[in-house]
Amino acid sequence: MIQFLLKGILRDKSRSLLPITVVSIGVALTVMLSAYMEGAFGDMIDQNARFETGHVKVMTQAYAENKEQLPNDLAILGVDELTESLRSDFPQMEWVNRIKFGGLIDVPDENGETKGQGPAAGIALDLFGANSREAQRLNIESSLVTGTMPTKKGEALIGHDFSEKLNVKIGDEVTFFGTTMNSSMTFQNFIVSGTIRFGAASMDRGALIVDISDAQHMLDMEDASGELLGFSKLNVYDDDQTQEMAAQFNAKHTKDDDEFSPIMLPLREQNNLGPMLDYSNMMSGIFIFIFVFAMSIVLWNTGLLGGLRRYQEFGIRLALGEAKGQIYRSLLMEAVLIGIIGSIVGTAIGLAVAYYLQVVGIDISGYMDNSTMLMPSVLRAKVTPGLFFIGFIPGLLAMVFGNMLSGIGIYKRETARLFKELEV
Amino acid sequence: MKYLMSFLLLASFGLLPAQNTDTYPDALTIIEKVDANLVSDSQITESEMVIHGRRNSRTVRSIGYTMGNEKSFSEYLAPAKEKGTKMLKLEDRLWIYSPDTDRSIQLSGHMLKQSVMGSDLSYEDMMEDRKLTEMYDAEVTGSETIDGRATWILELNAKVEDVAYDSRKMWVDQERFVPLKEELYAKSGQLLKRVTMTDVAKIDGRWFPKKMNYKDMLKSGEGTDFIVLSIQFNPDIPEHIFSKASLRM
Amino acid sequence: MNLAFQLAYKNLMGAGLRTWLNVGVLSFSFIIIIFYNGLIDGWNEQAKRDSIAWEYGYGQLLNSEYDPFDPFTILDGHGTLKEEQRKNLTPILIRQASVYPDGRMLSVALKGVDVNQSTLELPIQALKESTTAIPAMIGENMANAAKLKEGDEVLLRWRDKGGTFDAANITIVKVFDTDVPTVDNGQIWIPIQKLWDMTGLQNHATLFVANEQFQATNIPGWKFQSQEELLSDLTDIIAMKKVSGSIMYLLLLAIALLAIFDTQVLSVFRRQKEIGTYIALGMTRSQVVGLFTVEGSMYSLLAMVVGSIVGIPLFTYLAKTGIAFPAASQDIGIALADRIYPVFGIQLVLTTILLVVVAATIVSFLPAKKISKMNPVLALKGKLQ
Repeated sequence: MIQFLLKGILRDKSRSLLPITVVSIGVALTVMLSAYMEGAFGDMIDQNARFETGHVKVMTQAYAENKEQLPNDLAILGVDELTESLRSDFPQMEWVNRIKFGGLIDVPDENGETKGQGPAAGIALDLFGANSREAQRLNIESSLVTGTMPTKKGEALIGHDFSEKLNVKIGDEVTFFGTTMNSSMTFQNFIVSGTIRFGAASMDRGALIVDISDAQHMLDMEDASGELLGFSKLNVYDDDQTQEMAAQFNAKHTKDDDEFSPIMLPLREQNNLGPMLDYSNMMSGIFIFIFVFAMSIVLWNTGLLGGLRRYQEFGIRLALGEAKGQIYRSLLMEAVLIGIIGSIVGTAIGLAVAYYLQVVGIDISGYMDNSTMLMPSVLRAKVTPGLFFIGFIPGLLAMVFGNMLSGIGIYKRETARLFKELEV
Repeated sequence: MKYLMSFLLLASFGLLPAQNTDTYPDALTIIEKVDANLVSDSQITESEMVIHGRRNSRTVRSIGYTMGNEKSFSEYLAPAKEKGTKMLKLEDRLWIYSPDTDRSIQLSGHMLKQSVMGSDLSYEDMMEDRKLTEMYDAEVTGSETIDGRATWILELNAKVEDVAYDSRKMWVDQERFVPLKEELYAKSGQLLKRVTMTDVAKIDGRWFPKKMNYKDMLKSGEGTDFIVLSIQFNPDIPEHIFSKASLRM
Repeated sequence: MNLAFQLAYKNLMGAGLRTWLNVGVLSFSFIIIIFYNGLIDGWNEQAKRDSIAWEYGYGQLLNSEYDPFDPFTILDGHGTLKEEQRKNLTPILIRQASVYPDGRMLSVALKGVDVNQSTLELPIQALKESTTAIPAMIGENMANAAKLKEGDEVLLRWRDKGGTFDAANITIVKVFDTDVPTVDNGQIWIPIQKLWDMTGLQNHATLFVANEQFQATNIPGWKFQSQEELLSDLTDIIAMKKVSGSIMYLLLLAIALLAIFDTQVLSVFRRQKEIGTYIALGMTRSQVVGLFTVEGSMYSLLAMVVGSIVGIPLFTYLAKTGIAFPAASQDIGIALADRIYPVFGIQLVLTTILLVVVAATIVSFLPAKKISKMNPVLALKGKLQ
């Protein structure tokens, strides 16, 4: 029976091509839109994750308590080993070290004497690692105003406003002057490879972005790091998973009597993001529900139309003596087949696009006057497990439901009218 | 940190008494005797600074040369990270040189009001080179026993506006004329910092405290220790030491 | 054309449920587009309003030595204005200070504000009424960071104009809730008169906040930043949100248009006899194409009607009661209120109408185009083509 119907569907283009196309497009749109909504409602959270909190963040307990003050003296020691153990315990996450530090940027004149100074707000991250996604994560490359990314040790990016104020050019040398994690004085020269704009004026002045290895060396933090951030390799924050991970990690590593033992905090527990997270989940949930509902109406309509356009055929079949029930059932079976084929095709297309939008995103920097680090210039979707079946609701259920409704007409057919239609 | 040393030592130089009382000795007399112990026209000091962090303590060794009130030069000897770092202070200017970067950075103006290396000492604190008598009126207000040593209590109140601490209290050993404790106060009378001197020893005929603990009273923590390893009074120091050229040598 | 409209209307009404389904979906996208843009505009207005109310006023007159982003300039970046120049200006004096909650040291910006001012929305009443020696107020973020609450005393250390240290307990008389993090994070507010006494900087100010009557004139030693300049960061972010939103509703619109497209394809397919009849009656092919196109685009007109019936009361309600948002600490300096009142402007509504009608017309035209290639005789017979 199914084989017979399948043949029918495949051979009769008017029965197959249009409905399947419509269902596929509809399902693909639903999946894309849902993914996009998940991404759009999460963008503030995502922003926090990328800059501040990670999907999870590991710090020493003492550091976590005073983290506003960038207390690098309370940093995690033996961070390489800890990172390795995290990589093997939680391979689904990407683990990165970051150090935030304060100090002074000193710009020399031609005699090497101090020409100007300013406070430095330093961020050190893995810029040189072959597989590092940190630069991309922090939007650094697209926020460059002049110059290029640092490519070797001793190169740094500085805030564009600061560079203009003190007339620092690409290739000039500036000196960082600050305190190591052991609170001794430290100096480091950096060649300015580029200037950058964050988008928050407060950060544009003193920004100093260097590779983590440079920072570790200059701050006496070899094998130490202020923060150890975990990001899901899929770019997706999974609330339950991270909380579970944190509980597991903390049970193993966090000790009440040692304030320097590490503690893992999921995004939810940082920066008051918990309520925000619940809210965005709820909102995206509502919106997705609405879209699925709207799409269901559309595809129901398609199902309805699909049934209606075949009244003539049904008339003939009835005239040939086929039972009404049998015609109705075959109609529904066909709808199920079309729905399944369309939903699978649509979901596949939708997921592919959503995945592309998740990984690559839509670059909207062209629409904005100034591209900056703090303003996401790339819009991203978020692929969640729900997307794999969400398209089947409008694609299959609504489609079949539409056909069911229109098919009722079969039972209403008067034999007299039937024959009239057969005259054609 | 050498400057802190110099500052605290020099601070007692040349005090004038504000008033005499019948019961207590003249403040001037006490201070002259203190100066005789601590102050010389020039000094070369090798010292260690022990910083008590929250996590660990660490020791920095340096050698310092001072000439009068206004010139000083110091070089860090250990640990490796700091070895070769030099500081030069000429009047109100301060340069810090690091061999790693081959740069000398000048700290001036508002920078000097910032704290040194996140500690609660500002560069300005370290650079104060006026005589205490220029800044404060002094009087002896009592006596007290500290660690079994009888001391006179000297109270100093600011008579000019631009001083960091509005008043100070010094406890001076009545027999050896060495300060054993000093407290620094805010205008409101709030105690801000306390300096404790111990390990008083006789060096070149002078009584000298070889250990000093500097503590910010508003913060928790153990403060910072300064330990004198060796000290020479009135050595000959060539003038070129106190020049910017010597930073790079 | 009039005939086309009448016929189209009758056809649509005759189709009943199917028409209303299409209209429903289209009017829904119509509502969402307006809603989302209204929300963003509302946020924009709220953020601007709050930033103006709490921080920017009608522009700021900054001491030219003072750079808001360089804390080192706080020390020397202050001065006085003559009495007559201070008209319509609220002075704010900023000093660097430290507080010591539980033996921890926190560096803060100590801000003195005139307790009689009315330009900024800061809850100065609490400062004014307090009888404590140094009454202070802080924002919620600061309160969390310093672990302070109303009624707490905390030791504050500052320097007077000569650089002499002073220290005293201040009393937190008010923890205020603001949507503007830049008047909250790392700051303590006290009466400026108090700060003048504490520092000896009588009548000095780091910056002045202008009120509506203020006319910017060139005052040597000071630089004026207009409200627009101060708000420019915010404007950028709003622009980004708009682009991100437009992608969402374009997808939604696509769904609705798909429904119309689908219906149109089927209409053309099923109504061949009708098409043949029209042509037999003397209509040109393009007239028939026009008829079908009008029929399709009429969905959008009906959608406007339905959208208005549902949307007007809904939007009126939302604009009045607002939409609640949860608080989250964002350190990037954007004002986000916990309740946003959407703003639905006439321009927004008109643009949306135009967008929907044009889009609906295009997707109606595409399938109808096929009519022009039809053989009228076969069409009249109802033969599949």
